[in-house]
Amino acid sequence: MAEIKGSPLRRTRFLQAQIDEFLDVVSQAVLAYEAGVADYLQHGWSDAVEEKSVQIRECENRGDRLRSDIGTALYTEMLLPDTVGDVLSLLGALDHLLDVIKTNIIMLRVERPAFGPGLHGGTREMLRAACETVEQTVLASRSYFRDPATARDHHHKIHFYEDEAEHAGLRVMEAIYAADLPLAEKRQLREQIMRIDRLADLADDAGDALAIYAVKRTI
Amino acid sequence: MDVAFLVFLSSGLFLGWSLGANDAANVLGTAVGSRMVRFPTAVIICAVFVLLGAVVSGGGASAGLGELGAISALGGAFTVALAAALTVYGMTVAGLPVSTTQAIVGAILGWNLFSGTATDLSALTKIMVTWVASPVLGAVFAWMLYRLVRVTIHLAKPHLLTLDQLLRAGFIAAGIVGAYSLGANNIANVVGVFVPAAHLGTTTLGPLLLSGEQRLFAMGGMAIAVGTLFSRSVMMTVGRSLMTLNPVGGLVVVVAQSMVLFLFSSASLQTLLHGVGVHVPLVPVSSSQAVVGAVVGVALARGLKGLRQIQWTVLRNIAVGWVLTPTIAAFISYVALYVVQNVFEQQVVAAVAR
Repeated sequence: MAEIKGSPLRRTRFLQAQIDEFLDVVSQAVLAYEAGVADYLQHGWSDAVEEKSVQIRECENRGDRLRSDIGTALYTEMLLPDTVGDVLSLLGALDHLLDVIKTNIIMLRVERPAFGPGLHGGTREMLRAACETVEQTVLASRSYFRDPATARDHHHKIHFYEDEAEHAGLRVMEAIYAADLPLAEKRQLREQIMRIDRLADLADDAGDALAIYAVKRTI
Repeated sequence: MDVAFLVFLSSGLFLGWSLGANDAANVLGTAVGSRMVRFPTAVIICAVFVLLGAVVSGGGASAGLGELGAISALGGAFTVALAAALTVYGMTVAGLPVSTTQAIVGAILGWNLFSGTATDLSALTKIMVTWVASPVLGAVFAWMLYRLVRVTIHLAKPHLLTLDQLLRAGFIAAGIVGAYSLGANNIANVVGVFVPAAHLGTTTLGPLLLSGEQRLFAMGGMAIAVGTLFSRSVMMTVGRSLMTLNPVGGLVVVVAQSMVLFLFSSASLQTLLHGVGVHVPLVPVSSSQAVVGAVVGVALARGLKGLRQIQWTVLRNIAVGWVLTPTIAAFISYVALYVVQNVFEQQVVAAVAR
């Protein structure tokens, strides 16, 4: 990426815009993932799901580039000397979420698991909770940059949705193993559910770290 | 100006160099230590504005110090400045907090004792009151500023990056005022004792006309400026021994310290306050102790959790220094004057005309 030229004010605004764009990218990726998986449950792997998959891959690539550019700018311009470590750790955790979303949709495309109609409701519920966990983490991250006290307020919501995702996931896995299916298929379905749950776990971990960063920023 | 004069002035210039090496850190140390301002930028700001402050506004505090004791011979001025410098050096090596202001006051008192000159007790009382007032005012200013800054940030909710830029600009602005105030207030410590004995004439520097006193202040100011080049290691640690500060706290400390130094150096501010019935003496005060007071003020503004972070033993050592520094300086000054007069046969007290 070319060095940001211009006055310090212009450079700061450009960097702010990049950070906002990165958070937008994470949010778009998780929304595309939720829509894609919901569509898959209904219609199997269709053109619409393929479109969401491509969108997610583009978001992941864009996220990687933005994270790299932001990190380079922060270090070369010697900005945020007190908090640069926290900011880059936060961006790293969110970038990891993007990687996991991309991996999940790729594995869904590769494995094409067959979710029976009896599992749709529970899976959608679990998917919604996991994606909401990520959404709340993104909201908390936006607050961290402007109003750290509010970032702490989002923290309890992240925990709530992660908990919901975990319980919903447990119910779906119980339903899978109670169903009359070959063991291999049960294990395949269970792994898909665990991948969705992992998204919520990672978002929760990022939320915990963010809570500490917000406390450190509070004066 | 002859070479002999410069030889006598050397102890004052050495004191100026050590002031620059130690006290410049009080002005921009928190900024450099938190990597908000680069060290070369800090040195340039300190050097330029210390020199300006010394030449333009150094007369007020110097006159205040002169009321304590007017050293009538260059040999005496040399010895007094040397005694103060040795006290500062010795206590620094011993790891004890030391104030250049207190050292020079003690050394002047030593000269008064040696020469049989009566010490103006009201002037001495005025100076000693400011030793207490300086950190107290630093604490008060810092407490008020910290709470004001915290409310402003809470209401404005600036982006983290915008706040970073504002803090950097704030450090630069505060550093300029702080360096100017340091020069204006502390130049008296460096060359103030030479003023009665120097008798330098006026000179022109381009369009500027410099009085003899200003020429002396310019030389002292340059010594302080050179000393700032050696202040890196002190800048990286200033304030940390007492409490860890974030950049906002660091900025508040610098601004509060600058306000204290400015208050005790500005003749126009003194006139303004006199008009409303507040009498502020123009005397040199310790920038280090103003910083200590400001750090305590920031801690108090944070409440109980802030107070828990303070290293109270450091505060205790500072209080011990208030007693030790002038006492040791007075003793060294008395002994050194005896040696310079009787061993080196230099005049340390001018003969009184009959």
